[in-house]
Amino acid sequence: MLKMNNISKVFRTDVVETHALRDFTLHVEEGDFVAVTGPSGSGKTTFLNVAGLLETFDDGDYLLDGQSVKGLSDSQLARLRNEKIGFIFQSFNLLPDLNLFDNVDVPLRYRRFNAAERKRRIEEALEVVGLASRMRHLPSQLSGGQQQRVAIARALAGQPRFLLADEPTGNLDTQMANSVMDLLEQINKEGTTVVMVTHDPLLAQRAQRNIFVRDGRVSEVTSNADASELLHKTAQVG
Amino acid sequence: MFIYYLRLAMLSLRKNILLTSLMITAIGLGIGAAMTTITVNYLMSADPIPHKSDRLFYVQLDNWDPNSPYQEPNEPPDQVTWLEATNLMAAGKAFRQSAMGQSTLIVEPNRPEQKPFVTRVRMAYADFFPMFDVPFLYGSGWTANDDLDRRLVVVLSKATNDEVFGGVNSVGENLVMEGRSYQVVGVLDDWHPRPKFFDLSTGAFNLPEDLYVPYSLKESLELPSTGNNNCWQPVSEDTFQAFLQSECVNSQFWVEFEDPDDQYEYLAFLDNYVAEQKKLGRFPRETNNRLSNVMDWMENQEVVAEDARMMMYMALMFLIVCLLNTVALLLAKFIGRTGEIALRRAVGASRRTLFAQHLIEAGLIGAAGGLLGLILAWLGLKGINGLYGDQINGLTSLDPNMIALAIGLAVISTILAGLYPTWRACSVPPAGQLKTQ
Amino acid sequence: MNQIGPIFRALLRNKVGAFLLALQIALTMTIIVNAIHMIENRSSLMARPSGLDEANQFYLTSSGYRDDFNEQLVIEQDLRLLRQLPGVINATQINAIPLSGGGWSMGLRTAPGQDGLNTGVAIYFVDENGIEALDVELIAGNNFSTSEISYREANAVEWPQNAIITAATAKELFPDLEPAQTVGKTGYISGDEPLTIIGIIDQLQAPWNGWSGVERVMLVPQRTLFGSSRYFIRTEPGQRDRIMKEAEELLLRQDAGRLVRNVRTMTETREDSYRGHQALQTVLWITVVLLTIITALGIVGMVTFNVNRRRKQIGTRRALGASRGDIMGYFMIENFMVTSFGLLLGLGSSIALNIWLVDAFNLPRIGWHYLPIAMVILWLLGQLAVFGPARRAAGISPALATRTT
Ligand SMILES: Nc1ncnc2c1ncn2[C@@H]1O[C@H](COP(=O)(O)OP(=O)(O)OP(=O)(O)O)[C@@H](O)[C@H]1O
Ligand SMILES: [Mg+2]
Repeated sequence: MLKMNNISKVFRTDVVETHALRDFTLHVEEGDFVAVTGPSGSGKTTFLNVAGLLETFDDGDYLLDGQSVKGLSDSQLARLRNEKIGFIFQSFNLLPDLNLFDNVDVPLRYRRFNAAERKRRIEEALEVVGLASRMRHLPSQLSGGQQQRVAIARALAGQPRFLLADEPTGNLDTQMANSVMDLLEQINKEGTTVVMVTHDPLLAQRAQRNIFVRDGRVSEVTSNADASELLHKTAQVG
Repeated sequence: MFIYYLRLAMLSLRKNILLTSLMITAIGLGIGAAMTTITVNYLMSADPIPHKSDRLFYVQLDNWDPNSPYQEPNEPPDQVTWLEATNLMAAGKAFRQSAMGQSTLIVEPNRPEQKPFVTRVRMAYADFFPMFDVPFLYGSGWTANDDLDRRLVVVLSKATNDEVFGGVNSVGENLVMEGRSYQVVGVLDDWHPRPKFFDLSTGAFNLPEDLYVPYSLKESLELPSTGNNNCWQPVSEDTFQAFLQSECVNSQFWVEFEDPDDQYEYLAFLDNYVAEQKKLGRFPRETNNRLSNVMDWMENQEVVAEDARMMMYMALMFLIVCLLNTVALLLAKFIGRTGEIALRRAVGASRRTLFAQHLIEAGLIGAAGGLLGLILAWLGLKGINGLYGDQINGLTSLDPNMIALAIGLAVISTILAGLYPTWRACSVPPAGQLKTQ
Repeated sequence: MNQIGPIFRALLRNKVGAFLLALQIALTMTIIVNAIHMIENRSSLMARPSGLDEANQFYLTSSGYRDDFNEQLVIEQDLRLLRQLPGVINATQINAIPLSGGGWSMGLRTAPGQDGLNTGVAIYFVDENGIEALDVELIAGNNFSTSEISYREANAVEWPQNAIITAATAKELFPDLEPAQTVGKTGYISGDEPLTIIGIIDQLQAPWNGWSGVERVMLVPQRTLFGSSRYFIRTEPGQRDRIMKEAEELLLRQDAGRLVRNVRTMTETREDSYRGHQALQTVLWITVVLLTIITALGIVGMVTFNVNRRRKQIGTRRALGASRGDIMGYFMIENFMVTSFGLLLGLGSSIALNIWLVDAFNLPRIGWHYLPIAMVILWLLGQLAVFGPARRAAGISPALATRTT
C-alpha cells in the first residue's frame, strides 16, 4: 500500500549536509493506523513529507498504492496528493481569509468537482467534525481544537486513502487532543489508512503500530495487537 | 528611544531594499514631477515687482468697433492708441505715468571692426525707470524735459553696453543708430522681471529690450511699431501722421499711484476723458475703461500658460498615483508584520511607541523620496528648459521656497500615506495574532 | 478559473489594499488616456500641411540702415542675383513667413462697406515668382503677371487690383461655390477697396499656427518698401544648406548699406512654431511611460509582499493538491479582478477628466476607442506585472506547509 524501501533524503545547505532519512524502509498496509515517534530532528516530518509527496527523496523506492512515484511530474504529484492523501498539520494551516466552508472547499476545487458535489461533501465533512453550524465563520473565530477539526474535515472531504498527520495534537491540550484522536480513530475504522507523527507516547499507543525513528532510520516497530485493550490500559494509567 | 526607532526603521527598510527603493523612487518621481511643474507655474505667476505691484496700474480704454468688442465678452483692447498715449501723458494726472511701445533700430558701432546690428527698442517716458524700479549700473534715465524736447538720448541694457562699449561707463558717449547720433544717459544693471509684466503683448517671458529711447521720438523720427498693432478701422491716408492719429492700438500705458485708492479718482478722470473724446466723435462704444494692477493684469492676460497649468494638474495626479502606490506597499508591508507587532505588544510595547516606530519608517521614506524628488525636479526643470528654449526664459530655477516646499510636500505626504498602514498595523491585538499565524 | 468565488471572498477580507491598488490603476488609466488624447490632439495640429516644400526652403532678412540705401533697387538686384544662383528654383520677396508667428491679417468682405461678415485672412505680399518659390499649387485661374507687381510704401492704404486666395479662403467667403468658381469674384478689403480674385491655390498656412483661420491666406502682387524685407528662397532638393551660405555671402558682398540677418530654414521655423506642442508631447509621453512603470512596479511589489506573507498558505494549498498552474492562476485571477475593478473606476474618471479638460482647456472630446484600448493595455500590464511574483509563488515547496509554524 505504502512501501518505502531504502529511502534516503539529504538536505544540503551551503554549510552542512543533513541526512534526514537514510535507508528508511517501511511498509504500511491498507487500513493501518501507524504512529511515528522519535526524538526531535530524527526525521519524522521528513518521512511524512516524503510519504505525502510534499518532498522528493534522493535514493530508494517509494510505491504509493502500488505505483512508483519516482519521476512523476510536479502536476502528477499534485494530483496524487489531491486525490489520495489528506493532510493534517500541527498548526492547522487554515487559510485565514476564507471561512470554514471555503477552507474545506480548497482541495475539492483543485479536484474539479462540480458545485453541488462540493457542497455535499463539505457539509458532510463539517458534520462529521461537528462544526456544520459554523460554516460561515472565519478560522480566527474558532478555538485551536475546533480549528484542527476543520483541518480534519478538509482532509476528509476528498475521501483520501491516506491521512497523514504531523503532530496533529501538538498545539492542543489533553482533552482536545483526545477528541482529535477519537476522530482519527473513527476515520481509520472507516477504512482510511492513517499515519500520525506524535510526541505523546500515550497517544501513540492508541495506534495499531508504532514505529520509532532515530537518526533518519526506522529503529523499532511495535504492534499493539488489540487497540481496545490498549485503550483500557491507558485508562488505567491515566 | 527615537534613535532606537530610527535603527529599527533603517533595519526594516534595508531588509527589503528593493521595495524600499521602489517606494522611494515612486515618491521621488511624484515629487519631482509635481515640483517641476509647480515651479514653472509658480514662477509664471510670480509677482515681478512685489513691493509696489498693488500701486502700478495698466490702463485700458475701449475705442473699438461699435458693432463688435475687441474680444468677447466686451473686453476693451489690450493696448491704447498713440492719441490716448500722448493725451494721457500730457494730462499727467497720476503720480507717475508712462506710455510705451516697441520698435527696432540698427546700431552702427563706432569701432569699424564691429558690424552694424539690429536691436530691440523700448520707447518710453522718463517715468518708466523710477516707476518700475529699473536698476542702473551707470548714469540714470532721461528727464521729462528730454521727452518734451524730443532729445536723442538712449539708455542701454547691460548686454548692449557690454557689446558696444566693452562694459565701461559709457554715459555721455554717443551711439549712432540709423544715421543719427544718440547720447547715452544711462546703462542698466541686470534686469529681467519675470514675467515681463510691463508689456505682455509679445511673449510674457522674453528678455527686456536692448535699449530705451523717449517715446516722443516715435513721432519725430517715424519709428515703426514692431509689437502688436491692431486696427478696427482702415487708416485714412498713407502718411505716418495718419497712422498715429488712427484708431489703431499699439501702445501700453502704465500709471503709478502713491496709494492704491487713488485709482478711483484716476478712473473718474479717464471716464471724463472718454466723455470729452465722444464729443469729438471717437469712442463709439459704451464707456468701458479699466485699471488693473500688476497681478490682475497678468491674470487677465493669462500669463500662466494653459499648457503649464495642464502639465501641473497632470503632475499632481501623477503624484497621487505615486502616493497611492506607497500607501499600498506600506500597507502590505506593515500588515505582513502583524506577527512581529503582536509580539512587541505582548512584551509590553504600547500602541503609541509602535505608532511612532512605524511613522518614523514612513517619514524616512518620505525624506529620501523628497531628496530624490528635488534632484529630479532640478533635472526636470533643466529638461523643460531644453524643451521650450527661449519661450520660458528664467522660469526653470529652484528657489529656496520651492526647495522647502518639495521637502515638506514629500515628508508630509509620505507621513499621510503612512498613517493608515501604521494605524492598521498597530490596531493588532497583542494576543490574537500569536494564535492564528 | 474555478477559483473565482473564493478568490473574490478572500479579496473582500483585504478590501483596503485591493482598493488602493484599484484606485491607482483607475488614476493611471485616467492620466494615460487623457495624456495620449492630448498628445494625439497636438500631433494632428502639427500634422496639418503648411502647403510649402519645407525641406528645401529658407529665408533671410535684409535691413537697410545707411542714408544711401535705395531699397527698390537693392530688392530688384537681390532677387535677380538670388534667382541666378545655381540650385535655386525660385525666390520671392515676402512680408511674412508661414508658421513664424508674425505677420499681417486683414478683413475681407464680399460686399463693400462696414457691414456684413468680415473674414480674416493672412496677407502675403509676393511677386509673380511667389507661387513657385512657395511651391503652392494653382488649382484655378492665373498667376500674377510680371507687369502688375507694384511697390508698397510703409504707410500705404491702397490695394492693387488682383489677388490670389487659398481654397479655404474661397470656401469661407463664398460658401455656396466651389473654390474654382470664385475666380473672377470680387472681395473688399479696408471697407471698400475691391480685389479681384484671379487665382486659387490649394493650400498655404498663415503665420499663426494657433489661429482658427490658419488656412485662410491671400497673396497680394506687391513688393514692400518697409526698410526691411524678407526673401523666401526655394532650392533643388538637397541643396538648401549650401545655397543658404552662398546666398548670405552673395548679398553681403553687395555693398548696399544693409544688414543680412535671420537666415533660417523653414524646417527650423516649423520646429520653433510647434516647440510648445512638441514639448508638451514629450512631457506627457514621459509622464505616461513613468506612470506605467510605477504602476507595474507597484503591482510587482504588492504581489511580492502578498506572496511572501502567504508563503505558508501557498505551501498548504500545494499540499492539498494545488498544481503550480493553480497557484499561478490564483494570483493572475486575483490581479485581474483588482485591475478590472480599477479599470471600471478608471472608465468613469477618464471620461470625467476629459469633460473637465474640454471645459477648462477647450480640448476636443476624447475618442471612445481610447478607452477599450487603454483597458486592454492595462489588463495586459497587470498580468505581466504579476507574472514574475506569481511564478515565484508557484515555486514554493509544498513542504513549507509542515516546515514553518
Ligand atoms: N529544509 C531543510 N533544510 C535543511 N535541513 C533540514 C530541512 N528540513 C529538515 N532539515 C533537517 O533534517 C533533519 C530532520 O528534520 P525533521 O523535520 O524531519 O525532524 P523531526 O523528526 O520532524 O523533528 P521534530 O520532532 O522536532 O519536528 C533535521 O536535522 C533538520 O534540521
Ligand atoms: Mg517535525
